[in-house]
Amino acid sequence: MGRENFHRILEETQQNVLRMGSLVEEAITKAVDALTRSDTKLADEILKADDYVDDLNVLIETNCLNLLALQQPMASDLRTIAAMLDIVIDLERIGDHACDIAQITKNLANEPQLKPLVDIPLMAAKAREMLRESLDAFSHHDAQAAHEVPRKDDEVDRLYRKVFAELIQFMANDPKAIGRASNLLLVALYLERIADHSTNICERVVYMVEGVPKKLKRSVVEFNEVLAHSDEIMQTSTPAAAD
Amino acid sequence: MTTRLVCGGALIGIIAVAYLAATQPEPARTILVAVALVVALVFVVALVPVRTKGQPSVTTVEPEALTTHAGLRSQPGVAEVLEALPVGVMIIGEDGKIRSFNTAAGEVFGVPAERATNRALIEIVRNFELDRRVGATLRDGVEETSELTYVAAQQRYLQVTTRVLAGDGSRSALVIVTDQTRMRELETLRRDFVSNVSHELRTPLTAVKLMVETLQTGVERPASDEFLGSIAQETERMIALVEDLLDLARLESGKLEMRLGAVDIGELCRQAVQAQRARAHTLGIALECSTPDAPITISADRDKLSQVIANLLDNALRHTPPSGHVKLAASNSNGAVNIVVSDTGSGIPSTALPHVFERFYVVDPARARSRSGTGLGLAIVKHIIEAHGGTITATSELGVGTSFHCTFANV
Repeated sequence: MGRENFHRILEETQQNVLRMGSLVEEAITKAVDALTRSDTKLADEILKADDYVDDLNVLIETNCLNLLALQQPMASDLRTIAAMLDIVIDLERIGDHACDIAQITKNLANEPQLKPLVDIPLMAAKAREMLRESLDAFSHHDAQAAHEVPRKDDEVDRLYRKVFAELIQFMANDPKAIGRASNLLLVALYLERIADHSTNICERVVYMVEGVPKKLKRSVVEFNEVLAHSDEIMQTSTPAAAD
Repeated sequence: MTTRLVCGGALIGIIAVAYLAATQPEPARTILVAVALVVALVFVVALVPVRTKGQPSVTTVEPEALTTHAGLRSQPGVAEVLEALPVGVMIIGEDGKIRSFNTAAGEVFGVPAERATNRALIEIVRNFELDRRVGATLRDGVEETSELTYVAAQQRYLQVTTRVLAGDGSRSALVIVTDQTRMRELETLRRDFVSNVSHELRTPLTAVKLMVETLQTGVERPASDEFLGSIAQETERMIALVEDLLDLARLESGKLEMRLGAVDIGELCRQAVQAQRARAHTLGIALECSTPDAPITISADRDKLSQVIANLLDNALRHTPPSGHVKLAASNSNGAVNIVVSDTGSGIPSTALPHVFERFYVVDPARARSRSGTGLGLAIVKHIIEAHGGTITATSELGVGTSFHCTFANV
């Protein structure tokens, strides 16, 4: 394989990472859309489209490993290939989370909506924005942009805490709502994880450009604090009388 | 839209491109624009005399030359025409890289045109479906026109046409993108409006029909009196809705006649509060008015401003529970006159606040059914205030209350 061919395959692989990224970005939007409208047909489309994500994952990994094995890349090319191998893992997990949300849509299809969804679509929009900007940073090899993205994680975590507390309150007030509320809790958790995966992608981009592995600023959802607050809610709430 | 064609310093012609009416089918419109462009270029360029050393001559251009990428770019004025087009136009080379990307395409995809050239399409427009279609055009010569949803900072609905540009053993793809987002929004608004008006009229009409049918079977008093009272009430409700609709139509078309004169805002506020005192007392709501002793005079239509204050007070009283508080305050500061109506109702979620001035928008549909009102009050209020050159904003906190702030220039 000549050097020209190596660069061509490297460039094509980077483009495939962006293709995979655009598929999972769309999957997040569609998944929350399907959940908001209880659209099981859209949910099925998302589950089916995950096959393309998996195929691209395999293609990218294969190309990266071939380049490593056959070309002995050095310096920035080596870092780019290493970064892509990590990035596709995060993208694949994001795709899986979108599928999980689509599956929850199907599970809740015959149940009445607990309440109009407001904060969950906001979380989805923020998480998607983080993913898009992290992939922009990858596309343009922009470490500065990659440093900025994780700062938005605070807002996603704040929304997650709010949704968590609200859903715990629902469960405390009405045991019949536990099934639906716990599914929505999972949706919020998946969106919070998508934001974390976007931060991971930014860390890979910084490494790719600057050559030094670095943990970027991120806030950590203090689960002990959230659980303590939920205990408080459970203790002070009066459940609705059973029928 | 026209652009000049200049050759050798001389104006040789004009290319005019018409943007066809919205009634034309979308694919036909897009293709027609592209074909008109090509035909116009053939027509004009074929007539250009090329002068060399005093010897006039005519150069003709084969139409086929204009269907290749190199052919297009080599013709004088083509770049200017592409830039002037209101639709996005891209040319993608055989290697998948962008060769041409006009300003309109940059606006649709949120990317500066200069950043796009010689980059792979997927790097600039991160949409798997668009990338797939262009790939199919380049690889297999597939040409298609269909819709595409593009989500970046905003969601946009696009019509995308892909065509093959072939020649010299290579193949490029011509991509024409039309942004239909605004048309879709207007269509949705129109549909929702018709649906809302139909619903708002059908509900009282159904009630009236039932009561009339019952009366026709023969009903004794006092039941018949009760039915007739309800019929009168429902009829009033429908008349109020139709009048509000007419008001709104006149306001939106700018045809509403404004009778401007000197109006004392303080006095207007005191009168409005007085008119609602009895109702507030019945509802168990404390109603307060705060106005300065000195008059606050602005040039305004007295009746319209009375309508604004009455609508805002009515809204506040309807959304405040018993033992709550509604306050109307007028003030004059920093060269502006302010009217604030605040309440201690349940508040409006932050996601709903930007929409409260839309026609028929309801924050909580379940609660709205139990309250009277046409759903047009705030839309009318906003139009009247803006017709006076003023502004209105809403602030709210869930569980605390809502305030509407109206500001007018002090004239």
